[in-house]
Amino acid sequence: MKFFRWLRQNAEHYLLEAAQVDMAKKHRAGSGPLQPRTPQAFFWRRVFVPIYRLLPWSVRRMIMRAMPGSHRRSWERRASN
Amino acid sequence: MRIVVVGGGAAGIGAQGGAKGAAPDAEVILYTEYEDVGYSPCGIPFVHGKEIERFEDLILQDKKFYEDAGFDIRYTTRVESIDTASQEIQVAGQGAVKYDRLVLGTGWNYEDPGIPGSDLAGLHYVKNIRRAMEFDKLLDDAKVAVVVDATPIGVEMATAFAHRGLETHFVDPGGWPLADVADPEIMEPVEESMRGLGIHLHMQTSVERFVGEGSVRAVATSKGEIPADVVVVATHKTPNTQLATAAGIKTGSTGGIIVDDGMATSAENVWAAGDCVEIPHSVTKVPINGLSGSHAYAQGKVAGVNAGGGERAYQAVQVPWGMVAGTWTIGGVSFGETLATALGIPHVVGMADGISKARYYPGWSRIRVKLLVDPKDRTLVGGQMVGVEGIKERADFLAMAMRARIPIDDIAWMENVYSPPIGALNEPMALAAQNALGKL
Repeated sequence: MKFFRWLRQNAEHYLLEAAQVDMAKKHRAGSGPLQPRTPQAFFWRRVFVPIYRLLPWSVRRMIMRAMPGSHRRSWERRASN
Repeated sequence: MRIVVVGGGAAGIGAQGGAKGAAPDAEVILYTEYEDVGYSPCGIPFVHGKEIERFEDLILQDKKFYEDAGFDIRYTTRVESIDTASQEIQVAGQGAVKYDRLVLGTGWNYEDPGIPGSDLAGLHYVKNIRRAMEFDKLLDDAKVAVVVDATPIGVEMATAFAHRGLETHFVDPGGWPLADVADPEIMEPVEESMRGLGIHLHMQTSVERFVGEGSVRAVATSKGEIPADVVVVATHKTPNTQLATAAGIKTGSTGGIIVDDGMATSAENVWAAGDCVEIPHSVTKVPINGLSGSHAYAQGKVAGVNAGGGERAYQAVQVPWGMVAGTWTIGGVSFGETLATALGIPHVVGMADGISKARYYPGWSRIRVKLLVDPKDRTLVGGQMVGVEGIKERADFLAMAMRARIPIDDIAWMENVYSPPIGALNEPMALAAQNALGKL
């Protein structure tokens, strides 16, 4: 499970960072987040994010749902808390 | 039957009450490593800011109340391990204690800042009420405060320090405060108001180390050193699952304990609730972690009732949220545009500026509403708001609209209360929905 946590943490971080850059360009004349340059960051920014963005939503959703977690267990009942 | 609850926060207290209700004859024991249970840690920043007079006011019920109600709470008692095969826990200083049913409400920890000086004394993490009481005494003599990371608790603490009259510095690598949660147009007035309160915003700035000899005296950032009398570290919350993982209980991609809709874990006769678990989001179905105290309490009740032999269910969450930031209130539900863009969720944005009461009535304030709509099925993907009044109620309404899958067309033409002192002619949510409709 450590792998999936690592994958999700990094994917979320760099996808959010890229989205914040877009939002900053759109709404704030470019004052986006600080983007420290590291070899690891290069991969996530230059490889992972562009590839993820090329995928259709249905594929992205399928990948996200394929990850292990609470959503793979039963969540069908109506709330009664 | 013996039901053991580990953790005395909202989830643990909810679980103990739920278990007692479902199984009145059961022996229900709650273990907490802290001195108190059933208080509101979310209220701590407002005592520091002097909006609330005393820390004691945050304690919902005193120890005698729980004693009189028949709750067996073992304070300052640490549970060291769990053996799910023999169904027993190891309690520090007491040895093995058997259980028939176990509920974990072990909560969360702050993410380790992972920089030099993180072990210095004087770095304060807002969580425990007793430590907050001690910290508050330091504030009487402090002149300069630094808040590290623009998380919700960070924004609340910065606002509290400003109210207290401290020179307040707020350091975060994001382009705007709460950038992971809130959109820039929502935060624009908040940022302005924080500056107006005298808060020095150091955005696009990373903290490189905490400086001091034994005790912190400054914060070294990518843009220089900031001397500090007090430093609050407000990094992200991470689920506290040390006990669970050591016992072989499964965790998911958030790091939270995997549960089903009855809050049952992967181990037999073990349930879990609150910030230590992960819950599916209603839109993406992907699990998320680190929700509010009200989520934790409701989950705790479900876990406790089920541990007591009852049958209750929890549902995927829409996550309505809200908070005071600067002189404004912000809030929303599910996704904002930033997060939806990050995940690539298809959406159309509708935005409108409205007012809280009739324009001629004294004291009206501006409300900005931004709604995200799924272009395919025309239901809400999320929304965000900034205003002074009515943000919480609108966030709750939008969460229900999402749960009920109400189409944006119905929100656009909803009926609304019109009464000059309490509501304007046009409801801002309806205006935002009409704006979105024009783009569909």
